[in-house]
Amino acid sequence: MIFSGAILLIATFGIVTRRGFADWLGAYRYQSIVLAAVTALIAYVTGIWEIYIAAGLTLVIKSIIIPKVLLYVTRNLEIEFKVETNPYVSLRASVIISAFLVALSYFLTQQIPFKSDPIVSTYLPISIALFLIGLFVIVNRRSALNQVVGLLIIENGLFLFTLTLTHGVSLIIEMGIFADILVGIIISSILLLRISRTFDSLDVGKLQNLRDD
Amino acid sequence: MPSLAEIVIGIVQSLFIISFSPLMVGIMNKTKARTQKRIGSSVFQPYYDIIKLVRKDEVVSDQSSWIFRSSPWINFVAIGTAAFFIPIFLSYSPFGLVGDILLVIGLFALARFFTMLAGLDVSSSFGGFGSSREMMMSMLLEPALFLTIFVVSLTYGGSNISGIVTTSADSSLISHPQLIFAMIAMFVIILGETGRLPFGNSATHLELTMIHEATVLEYSGKSLALIEWSSAIKQLILLSLIINIFVPWGISSSVSVPLLTTGLLLFIVKVSLLAVSIAFLESRVARWRLFRLPDLIAMAIASSMIGVVFYYL
Repeated sequence: MIFSGAILLIATFGIVTRRGFADWLGAYRYQSIVLAAVTALIAYVTGIWEIYIAAGLTLVIKSIIIPKVLLYVTRNLEIEFKVETNPYVSLRASVIISAFLVALSYFLTQQIPFKSDPIVSTYLPISIALFLIGLFVIVNRRSALNQVVGLLIIENGLFLFTLTLTHGVSLIIEMGIFADILVGIIISSILLLRISRTFDSLDVGKLQNLRDD
Repeated sequence: MPSLAEIVIGIVQSLFIISFSPLMVGIMNKTKARTQKRIGSSVFQPYYDIIKLVRKDEVVSDQSSWIFRSSPWINFVAIGTAAFFIPIFLSYSPFGLVGDILLVIGLFALARFFTMLAGLDVSSSFGGFGSSREMMMSMLLEPALFLTIFVVSLTYGGSNISGIVTTSADSSLISHPQLIFAMIAMFVIILGETGRLPFGNSATHLELTMIHEATVLEYSGKSLALIEWSSAIKQLILLSLIINIFVPWGISSSVSVPLLTTGLLLFIVKVSLLAVSIAFLESRVARWRLFRLPDLIAMAIASSMIGVVFYYL
């Protein structure tokens, strides 16, 4: 079980190291497939059949629909907006920092007495690590398009978090969350398109300046 | 005190590494050629190359000193000595009492140190930049390698290779998740140490792609044969380390003929699979820019760090 958690962490590191838009989208697809496998494993261990549906939905929505939608919406963007050329912290340092964040999340969850439940003690630190890494990716990246990946990592972390703590919230809420993410992705990419048309750049550093023309 | 049979098997193991290693290079070259839709040279071509080079005359620059002439021998002896500590089909090496995995890394470092000195010694510009690149790579790779070894030694208790392999043959990889992280790190490090493709292209002698080749560009004849052979041995040692530490299934734990035969056959199958997969990987990726390589090594370091975290869980 801890083995599957380790594979999920490796998939997350695969996203952190990617620069280009299409690259991290592919890595995100792999992470979602691993997440779906983890969800199915949790369903098998707890024996709640609803979680299998959540796993199937994860597989379909996160590994097929979201990448397709993102690729479709951003097909007209120019290539220099899509590649993260100059992040605030270099990628090699951000990998090391992510490793420290994983250590931090393990340290944090050591303080919570959940030892009796194997699912919680396995996946809770990993979900918090995903959350922290996603937050770090958002803060670190300069291009607004590539900040979306941080959002997606956080969302995967939150999904795992709710799943481990509640052993599956009711299916209606799960569906709502998935629809929410889908709409959120579409809205954010349309917003990004507007930003790139108005400012000729997706660099968030440049969005601070006021334009008075 | 190891028995006579064990000592004989230990010597056979190390001779096996030394004699089998050019075949591994041949298999990798053949696989790469086939993926590029070429027929490629025979898998025994590295042996023919070594024999051809041994027969040839040697040209040594009159500007060079004794370092240039002795460095291939030091290289070969250091790496050949390291081969004595590696278990292949018996899970412990009788010479393992003498040295552990840190000594193997130290012997590699000694060999690399003399290669770099020899590159500087002939005072050609290629040797100079080759040495500086090699130094940069080894400076980054060695901490990563030590961190990986640290994870493995913590898990299996002790840095003695025979101890590690004996313990790992009895336990399973699934129950030690930190070892996957160590394995990923080790794989990246092996690509770097042997100069495989994201790090350097060993097939060409182009100025941009050389790391290891630039330092040995001035060698010819017997010295070149020794250097090629010792780098082949180093590659096989690293491959058998990754196999016997992480997937030691089927390795023999006692001296008996059927167990040893199955151990040997399984090892040959596993090492060939690993070599073929590395060759496939090599034909899929392009060489990375030199200053992007630290990214890859940083991944290896981060991976071993998470391995340490998982160990202390």
